Amino acid sequence: MIRQISVFVENQPGSMMEVTSVLTEAQINIRAISMFDAPEFGIMRLVVSDPARAKEELTKRGFVNRVNNVIGAELIDENGNLNHMLKILADGKINVNYIYSFVIRQGRAPVMVLHTDDFDRAEEVLKAAGVKLVEEEEL
Amino acid sequence: MIWAKEETLPRSEIEAIQLAKLKDTVRYIYDRVKPYRDKMDAAHIKPEDIHTLEDLKKMPFTYKADFRDNYPDGLFAVDKKEIIRYHASSGTTGKPTVVGYTRNDLDMWLNNVARLACMGGATADDVAQISFGYGTFTGALGLHGGLEKIGASVIPMSSGNTNKQIMFLQDMGVTLLVATPSYALHLGEEIRKRGIDPEKDLKLRIGLFGGEGMTEPMRDEMHKVWGPQFVCTQNYGMSELCGPGVAGECTELCGMHINEDWFIPEIIDPDTEEVLPPGELGELVVTCLGKEALPLVRYRTGDLTRLMYEPCKCGRTTARMEIISGRADDMLVIRGVNVFPTQIEEVLLKIDEIGPHYEILVERKNRLDVMTITVELIDDRLLDSYGKLNELEARIKSMLKSQLGLATQIRLVGPNSLKRFEGKAKRVTDLRKDGL
Repeated sequence: MIRQISVFVENQPGSMMEVTSVLTEAQINIRAISMFDAPEFGIMRLVVSDPARAKEELTKRGFVNRVNNVIGAELIDENGNLNHMLKILADGKINVNYIYSFVIRQGRAPVMVLHTDDFDRAEEVLKAAGVKLVEEEEL
Repeated sequence: MIWAKEETLPRSEIEAIQLAKLKDTVRYIYDRVKPYRDKMDAAHIKPEDIHTLEDLKKMPFTYKADFRDNYPDGLFAVDKKEIIRYHASSGTTGKPTVVGYTRNDLDMWLNNVARLACMGGATADDVAQISFGYGTFTGALGLHGGLEKIGASVIPMSSGNTNKQIMFLQDMGVTLLVATPSYALHLGEEIRKRGIDPEKDLKLRIGLFGGEGMTEPMRDEMHKVWGPQFVCTQNYGMSELCGPGVAGECTELCGMHINEDWFIPEIIDPDTEEVLPPGELGELVVTCLGKEALPLVRYRTGDLTRLMYEPCKCGRTTARMEIISGRADDMLVIRGVNVFPTQIEEVLLKIDEIGPHYEILVERKNRLDVMTITVELIDDRLLDSYGKLNELEARIKSMLKSQLGLATQIRLVGPNSLKRFEGKAKRVTDLRKDGL
């Protein structure tokens, strides 16, 4: 299990940068990031080196943000591996709300970050199928 | 055509009618309406203190807030069984302003509307399409009844559904349109988009506009869109006073003739509450004469205008008021609907996920008013999904819709994004210029 931080940002120039600059100043590393286009506002999702401190710093600077659990699944970069993982979840009838991947990890296998409302069962079926789930300290 | 002989009486006779009715009205409210009696007692005024029209100045004002404080019918002077119609308009907060009519009131009202329909050039030969929204709004049923009085053929179209509006305009040979001026411009442009030339292809020749003010630039636009043959006048009223029927422009277009045998206008300085002389700009205060269900004395309309007493070329001798030039308070008119920022605030404060600060932006897009309300998101739980944020937006919109009767746009921003004010907040930005 790993934690992500979600930050509310307006859809206007510089709004994502305001978030990253708070983190940079606090010397918090960004491991993964996801954001897609929305007409007026967006939810920027990040996996960072220190979620508790990131929350503290962002809250102090007036950002609405929320820390919650997500699943990090390590996938060896081989043909069909993502498909394999998604099939395990599909067979378990687990709905994935959203998924994004880590920025390159030096010398290590990529990690997919996924969010579901059925957190425990998702972990269970993935573990049972032999997918390696990563913990925060391994990032 | 002039509908009633009272519109052309010499000033002395108009004033004699006013004085007689004023004395009766003051006696009537003192005897029948407790909030008036309390106010008069507090000001040490008795009905017998009214000897001249000048004595009206001694009477206390009536405010929109009096309707709220006596909601729904505490200002009524008759028993419920005498009421044959209710209407309602926006209040400053969640409760509407409710008004009622006896049979005599309804007859007086619709005759007054008939007068201003005639001022605008309507006759028994007209086919009138009413494109105001029906319902508790006084505009639609007021013009409806007034036009029936003069014998015109009335089509109760209501607002919206542009295709159907255009079909009726064409197929029924409509000659007269009742609408808000901005909706009339929108409709005219939609008609032109469909390749119809109103001047050649339609029989429309008269526009009777209300619900919001029509500026001179809007009237010029109206002629560009509908053609030079289109005679457009506007009329004035508000539900508290009776609805439309208080005043209207004649085709000379030099102000709105006030039906002075039923309404006494005064202009005051809204801050000092001093009565101002004719010709000066100030807040319009109206006293209704002879109303049975809901008498109203010195009602603060909040509308800024000036009065002119010179007789008009049309033959009418009644006082005229200029086109409304603004408001003494912060009321907005959006698509003909009165909106008070306090109504919006009341809704927003009930929603826990957003903060107490807000901004209102009013623009005109495609001739129609668009109101955008910006609020600050404070609840981090909504960041779990876009669905939750969208649900919040939809919920705010739906609560505002039921409060205001209007669709709004919502913009969510982060906390502390909106300007903070020390002292009086300026939360409203109105980008509409000359109503265009």
